[in-house]
Amino acid sequence: MSIMDGLSCKDCKYYLPVDVFSGMCKLSKERIGPDDPLCAKVEKIAKCKFCSNYTPEKDFLGKCMGNTLAYPDLIAAKCADFQWYNQK
Amino acid sequence: MLTDAQNQINYYGGEPGAQVASREGKRQPTPRANSARELYFETKSSVSMEFPYWYTRRWEEMEGEIPIIRRAEALKAGFQHLTPVIYPGELLCMGKSSYLRGSFPMPWLSEAFFMAAENKLYQEAQESGKLTADTFTTMGKGGGNVTKSVGKVLSIAGKFGLRVEEMPAMLEVAKKWKDKSVDDVGHKYEQLVPGYKEKEALMRSVICMFDSGYTLPQGREVMNYYYPLQFGIDGIIQNCEDGIADVAGYPDMDRLYFYKAVILMLEGIKAWIINYADEALLLASIEKEPQQKTEYLEMAERLHWISSKPPRSFHDALQMLWLFHVAVLNEDAISGLSPGRVGQVLYPFWQRDMKNGVIDREKSLELLECMRIKFTEIDCFASMGVVGGVLSGNTFNNLCLGGLLKDGTSAANELEMLILEAGITCDTPQPTLSLLYDEKLPEEFLLKGVECTKIGTGYPAWVNNQVAMEFLLGNYAHEGMNLEEARAWAIGGCLETSPGSWMPLELDNEIHWIPGGSAPATSVGVHFLNLPKLLEVVLFDGMDMRTGQRIFPSHGFKLETYDELWQGFKDYFSRACHVLTLTNNIQHDAWRKISPSLINSMLKPDCLAKGKDIGQMGCRYNTTFNIESCGTTNLVNSLGSLKKNVFTDNNYTLHEYRSAILANFGYKTAQETGSYSLIDQVPTDDYPNWKKIHRQSLDAPKFGNDNPFVDNILKEWEDWFCDMAHNYRSLYDQPMYACQISVSTHGPMGAVTLASPDGRLSGTTFSDGSVSAYPGTDKNGPYALFNSATCWNHAQSQNSQLNMKIHPSVVKGREGSRKFLELIRAYLRKGGFHVQFNIVDSRMLKQAQAEPDKFRSLLVRVAGFTQYWVELGKQIQDEVISRTEYEEV
Repeated sequence: MSIMDGLSCKDCKYYLPVDVFSGMCKLSKERIGPDDPLCAKVEKIAKCKFCSNYTPEKDFLGKCMGNTLAYPDLIAAKCADFQWYNQK
Repeated sequence: MLTDAQNQINYYGGEPGAQVASREGKRQPTPRANSARELYFETKSSVSMEFPYWYTRRWEEMEGEIPIIRRAEALKAGFQHLTPVIYPGELLCMGKSSYLRGSFPMPWLSEAFFMAAENKLYQEAQESGKLTADTFTTMGKGGGNVTKSVGKVLSIAGKFGLRVEEMPAMLEVAKKWKDKSVDDVGHKYEQLVPGYKEKEALMRSVICMFDSGYTLPQGREVMNYYYPLQFGIDGIIQNCEDGIADVAGYPDMDRLYFYKAVILMLEGIKAWIINYADEALLLASIEKEPQQKTEYLEMAERLHWISSKPPRSFHDALQMLWLFHVAVLNEDAISGLSPGRVGQVLYPFWQRDMKNGVIDREKSLELLECMRIKFTEIDCFASMGVVGGVLSGNTFNNLCLGGLLKDGTSAANELEMLILEAGITCDTPQPTLSLLYDEKLPEEFLLKGVECTKIGTGYPAWVNNQVAMEFLLGNYAHEGMNLEEARAWAIGGCLETSPGSWMPLELDNEIHWIPGGSAPATSVGVHFLNLPKLLEVVLFDGMDMRTGQRIFPSHGFKLETYDELWQGFKDYFSRACHVLTLTNNIQHDAWRKISPSLINSMLKPDCLAKGKDIGQMGCRYNTTFNIESCGTTNLVNSLGSLKKNVFTDNNYTLHEYRSAILANFGYKTAQETGSYSLIDQVPTDDYPNWKKIHRQSLDAPKFGNDNPFVDNILKEWEDWFCDMAHNYRSLYDQPMYACQISVSTHGPMGAVTLASPDGRLSGTTFSDGSVSAYPGTDKNGPYALFNSATCWNHAQSQNSQLNMKIHPSVVKGREGSRKFLELIRAYLRKGGFHVQFNIVDSRMLKQAQAEPDKFRSLLVRVAGFTQYWVELGKQIQDEVISRTEYEEV
């Protein structure tokens, strides 16, 4: 099972969100959707669900460092405590 | 073949010409702006949880801190964690959130309305009457509104889309604010006001539309960009550090915390700007197209520069202006944050760049078009009653042009001509434009304004500079305003006269006096009061007959004379103002304690000098609370009808009128027919029994025809209302004032009001504005309407509002332009405060209602703002269609 399983364009650092339904690829400039499948050029964007400090609890909710509310799809690119859980 | 009943309703109408007339030819925006606008058309309103998550997280971490420091830390965390998004081709970047048309919940203000209906928080809010207006609001079904949940997107308030993966976080974050939000804390204490239950009854009956303290606590005011333009962010931080050194340890220690809070907040804004600069660099690194790559690199350099230093160019200054505008929008739920007289604020930068060959007119126009797109992207996340029932999805960022300079000469300039041109070439709802008309403005400038209004954008609205200055001097003289300072004013929000100040911008050793806002929100307090509904409650001795609930105790009058009726109305109106003023003062007190303004405070003179935020009266002018009315014309027409039919001609008893009102004059209600204009209503079998009284109600004298019988009623109301408003004291212990704009409230407020004695039917939308004629009732031409509208002194009030609809053929060509300008002048010279126009054939609007997909870009003027037709609710669409259409002037 690949680490990329279950991920989609909205998990890629080249995904540019336009609205909740659609976005663009920063590389190709084509219109894509947040739930579209990943392509070969994917680079994951830092999100809570990729962070070693994040513990999932129930659907779309979890904890940061064991005690603070967090949620898996929160972009954590500017979070000082973010640490990649696994290999990018 | 029309039925007898339809003929009755169409009584006021005329036969249209054979062809649907189009508006005068439009010009196209630059390719860059056109692409951006096309992207906007494809974009849905979207909310994200990023900012509120980080705000709340930091807020919790800072428990025990001094409140204003805690607030600053929370704002800082929100800004520094916002994910930057830059769209291809943008010359100006940065936005409220990480979506193009993005916004986010602010549960620290209010957390109940976006809960599911079965949630306990939602139900509590419903019981207290806070959400009743939502029930009677129709949202626009097209454009960027997410009207229903689809796939992985949830619809909130009939407008905003939220990804399902963020919904649990939104609910969890919202719950953290239960009993702590401005809404909850304010509610806890407002219940201590004697007679509080009356306030709840007023809200449930939608006699009052909404509380301002936690819904839209800021806005309806004019921005001031002077400090960042002059000193840059680091210069302001240095100013605050100096302030700290001056006040630390001395009495009035709140100054110390304010300065420290501003520094913390600015650190967050600096990080936000730098994050954008880094994103621009990333995009440049992967960009293959040379011009776009260069633009990204220039953008990154510009952002890095203005993250600490004052702007060097017009482009720098415009980007600086925009980012602080967005920053203020992110500190509170805000509508009506007007950029003010941008063409005068930025003129020194533009003039220098033009002189030095840094920029040309073509590039300037492109930048100004890009500015229009950015302002159009602004959304405000609020409840359905607020975002639909009041705002119609607009956020009223009003840019003003013209007026006078500090020395009393014309303020119009070449950059303002280009702003008007951009409004023509790139017609978008925002920023809407208002032209501050003064006799000293040059003809060429005025004709440019006419050229813009003529294309059918609804802007610029035409506003009387001298009337506004008279109002300002009357309202703010006790706070030190003089004639020179009065000239610095602008419109805040859609039509709120707001005080300003002249700020000394030094550029190349030369001082340029630029205008900017110097007061907090100039329209908070009692919002809005439903005048026809109040008359209905007087007629039924304190009862709301729609709900069967008692609103007020019996007024004690037998209503045997017109004077008794009028006194009963004044008593109930005063009673409503009393309790609503007190409860709103408490809500605003909770706001200033829990969620004080930092960014806007920093920008507004004289907060930095005083070391006080807006909530502590740091601004130069603080007499800013008002009482807003809705439905003036229907009230006046109804009083006129009763005066004639009951008290003068004795055609009917008041009891017979009550029966006719309850029977809706023999028609179905608007809710039953699904149409909200008088024209489209459907009779019941009972109709013949009410035909005569209905006809005589419609026949009674109507406002807008230069008829003293009814115009004197308007004058009596205005003289009384504008004076009595001063009897109420704001949170800042200043007298309040009258404000008379309907925005979109005439839709939902009409929806809860039974038939009125003027012949209007139950549930139909009121006449808009405050001096607009009821559709079809102004039968003597525009000049008669002007006479009626100016029968009272408009400088007594913060505003008045007149909307007119003119057939495109009337103003066609150069001759039409001159005729149009003379028409506008005639009204303003009579002392009218404001007039705005829809230049449109009503049948085009009907086509657009039937086939919205073909009219995505169609703009119309509502009441103080321009909006895409497809994003308006049906209540307002029907009202705009039914407005009287002038086919000659």
